[in-house]
Amino acid sequence: MSVVTGGTAPYVYVCTRMRVRKSKLLPREEYLRMLNMSLPQITRHIEEMEYKREIDELAASFDGIDLVEEALSWNLAKEFQKILEITPGILKQFTKSYLRRWDIQNVLTIIRGKNQGMKAGKIKEVVVPAGSLDVQFLDRMISEESSERAIEMLKGLPLYAVIERELPAAIEKGSFGRLENELYRQFYADLINEASGGLKGGDQFLKSIQLDIDTRNIKTIFRLRGHVSSQEEMEGLFIPGASFSEEELRRLSQMESIDELIDALKKKVRSSTLVEVLEGLREEKPIHEVENALIRAQLEYMDRLSKRNPFSIHPILVYLEKKKYEVTNLRALARGKQANLPAERIENYLVI
Amino acid sequence: MDLATAIVTVEMVEASQMGMKALGAGLAVGLTGIGAGVAEMGIGAAAVGATAENKDIFGLALLLTVIPETIVIFGLVVSLLILF
Repeated sequence: MSVVTGGTAPYVYVCTRMRVRKSKLLPREEYLRMLNMSLPQITRHIEEMEYKREIDELAASFDGIDLVEEALSWNLAKEFQKILEITPGILKQFTKSYLRRWDIQNVLTIIRGKNQGMKAGKIKEVVVPAGSLDVQFLDRMISEESSERAIEMLKGLPLYAVIERELPAAIEKGSFGRLENELYRQFYADLINEASGGLKGGDQFLKSIQLDIDTRNIKTIFRLRGHVSSQEEMEGLFIPGASFSEEELRRLSQMESIDELIDALKKKVRSSTLVEVLEGLREEKPIHEVENALIRAQLEYMDRLSKRNPFSIHPILVYLEKKKYEVTNLRALARGKQANLPAERIENYLVI
Repeated sequence: MDLATAIVTVEMVEASQMGMKALGAGLAVGLTGIGAGVAEMGIGAAAVGATAENKDIFGLALLLTVIPETIVIFGLVVSLLILF
């Protein structure tokens, strides 16, 4: 079932599978129930769900919180690779490009790990091979002696040019923030190029990317609020290509009044759910609550798009995003329980 | 009588009518068959997709897939009415 091409039937097939998978994701009530469980109970509960195989496989090598984390990462990677296998034609190409964000995350993890002198085994634990770079490739990268040799392996990939350009300055400064920003800027620019290249369904893909960019930029604006930053510091923080230009975003991030900021954002944001959420952000809230609200709005709008265009890239993307947040939620739950945090505090960090 | 003038007998008219009827009956079944096929394409693809994820709904998926077959039954009834 790895190759499905031609006609509308493969689209219907894949989109239905994604919809069924999405319906199997954990509902809100389940998270609330899990908030009252202890870590071993949570592990057992996860084992009874979709994560059984991974927990069983990894139980011999890990235990406690590490077992939960590893099982979640493995399951996510396996699930995303499976989706890449079953998606047909252009949808496969779009999905593959969309999943390249995991390559960025993995490569950055490896570079950071190597620069801090972490052991190969430790780096391997935190890598999530959900993108186009598979486990074998990442393992070979991790087992390279120096980070230069590991980076050499990326030659020919879109990441390489940016890493080669930005890495020396990053190592000199000891901070990889700028490199990370540049990688994501290039990633989104590539996605926009691909989506506007006239391919069938590209316009739908573009909508999702622009929504993602808008949400990301608004999150950055809220993070920057209260910090007076120079133009130089803000260089490269925002991603162009959606509702706002970089210049506008920089100006917005330095606005003193929250009401003015919300009004300015509402004027240009295209997603109805984001507009609704922005209205609720007029009063000052902790940043994680703001981010959660924005993510929820993004997911809801993606969900709406997937219902309006049932046989397009949307049902796949919304599943990929929701699955990612399920894993993030379960990890937050397990970590929170291990740190003995109260249930209300953990709940604030969950995207439900 | 001129040799070039064709003679249309009653038998020939009756045979022609029968031919037209057969053609109509054939079209009734054939076109509805194509219609059902097109309708089943989408439902079938969705049914296979849903069954691949959740085997419990196989029965329901099969039932939904064959619902467009009713169009062929209508076609068959019409063709039988034409023929007999």
